[in-house]
Amino acid sequence: MSIGQNGFSVFGGVAAANRGARHERDNPATAAQAMSGHKTSRLWSLIGMLLILLAWHATAKVMGSMMMATPLETLQAVPRLLGSAHFMEHAGASLMRIAIGVSTGCAVGFALGVVAGHSAQLRGLLEPLRWLLMSIPPVIVVVLAMLWFGLGSPMVIFMTVLMMAPGMYVNTVKGMLHIDSQLAEMTRVYRFGFWRRLRHLYLPALTAPLTAALLIATCGGVRLVVMAEVLGAESGAGYALANARSTFDTAELYAWVLLILLLVAMLEFMLLQPLQRRLGKWKEPSHA
Amino acid sequence: MLEFVNAGLAYGARQILHGIDLIVVPGERYGLLGSSGAGKSSLLRMAAGLTAPASGTCVNRYRYPALLFQEPRLLPWRRVRENIEIPLLAMGLSKKEAHERSRHWIHKVDLENASEAWPGELSGGMAQRAALARAFALHPDLLLLDEPFSALDPALRASLSGLCTAYVQASGAALICSSHHPAELVRMVDHCLLIQDGRLHRYDIDPHDAGATPARIAGLLHERLTEQQEARPDSHP
Repeated sequence: MSIGQNGFSVFGGVAAANRGARHERDNPATAAQAMSGHKTSRLWSLIGMLLILLAWHATAKVMGSMMMATPLETLQAVPRLLGSAHFMEHAGASLMRIAIGVSTGCAVGFALGVVAGHSAQLRGLLEPLRWLLMSIPPVIVVVLAMLWFGLGSPMVIFMTVLMMAPGMYVNTVKGMLHIDSQLAEMTRVYRFGFWRRLRHLYLPALTAPLTAALLIATCGGVRLVVMAEVLGAESGAGYALANARSTFDTAELYAWVLLILLLVAMLEFMLLQPLQRRLGKWKEPSHA
Repeated sequence: MLEFVNAGLAYGARQILHGIDLIVVPGERYGLLGSSGAGKSSLLRMAAGLTAPASGTCVNRYRYPALLFQEPRLLPWRRVRENIEIPLLAMGLSKKEAHERSRHWIHKVDLENASEAWPGELSGGMAQRAALARAFALHPDLLLLDEPFSALDPALRASLSGLCTAYVQASGAALICSSHHPAELVRMVDHCLLIQDGRLHRYDIDPHDAGATPARIAGLLHERLTEQQEARPDSHP
């Protein structure tokens, strides 16, 4: 995952990023080398995907269709699943939980991160909770949430928020601590209010760690919601997946998995990566 | 009015400034000199409200003070024009007014061709001109310059200093400018302040007084600065 790899390297600060951009402009050869090292090869990604499909097909053939559907059987089951009466209900429930859970978790983590970035006391106060939430296995939170909220959306959303917020919090705090103090001073001299500082200083300065955290949160959020639905919901993709397993409808089970993977891919490639490119536009020189 | 009353500043156990008494009224132009680490930036930071005095008081009653730093400090993710407009919007101007003012000052500092560039694409001189436009666009009534042109070549330094002098004369704003170059500074200001051992020494320039002409004052300050430099323990091997 290219974003994940460079997510933490940007903590050297905006000044460092700026210096890097200047250096690359001054040395095109170095820039080209750096680009070839950092840019993920699409060809090799395609080869990797083909290898997975091949391994999946071979394993399914060995295990038999009761245990594992082949890629072709899965593809054939997708239109059937899309046309079924309950598909929209389950997909809609999952999407709603993902949207609310991930966005609330990220918003809470970000807001706490911005405030904690300014206060060593608050950072200290939140550290045990951060450690607790990042160390506890999600399945335990699902079980506890089921006890507190019963089955259904509140439980799934609660556990997603609880599991997503710490990642965003950690990235925001680390980013805040590395914000260029000279720029922060400049915003004080020119009397930027809090919202203007948030919009023109914090958010752009935190672009790299935030987009990395958002990507991890979104992909992780989808996985968590599905897991929570498998264990304790009466609707959603996870619930439908568990149903397909109990009725030995292996092709439908794999069709659900494929659709979930497609959702993650769409979120990553059609939403998060374009967003990251847009926010990082200033690092690319617009003219020579 | 900017008023320091017996103001002092310390970083830990190290006393940087003490017993600073100074009143800067509108239209007055002060040059600030001192060897490296003498406390010039600290004094300007106190004036801008970035640092509180450890003792005494520093009261700034100017409505629109602007501090120009040694570095341009432009937001790298905002275009040059936006860097100038954002402080104006923070000041309460409408988008249209901010746009017009930024266009005017971009023209004044000769950056029309770079108004849509990212700060990372500018040379050092261009970036400092953009920072100057950002400060002037506020129409500051107190201009604090912290060696903003020290890294530039002499010709550009002279041109930007000229722009500052012209602005201050036309607007009636007060000015405090720190520099390492007494000869250049005395051309811009009416009074020179030399920081020596944390204290402020004042030299008034009077072109009609043979003992206080700009050239005499510059020579005197140069001598004092050289003495300071030689007296520093780290200046001897």
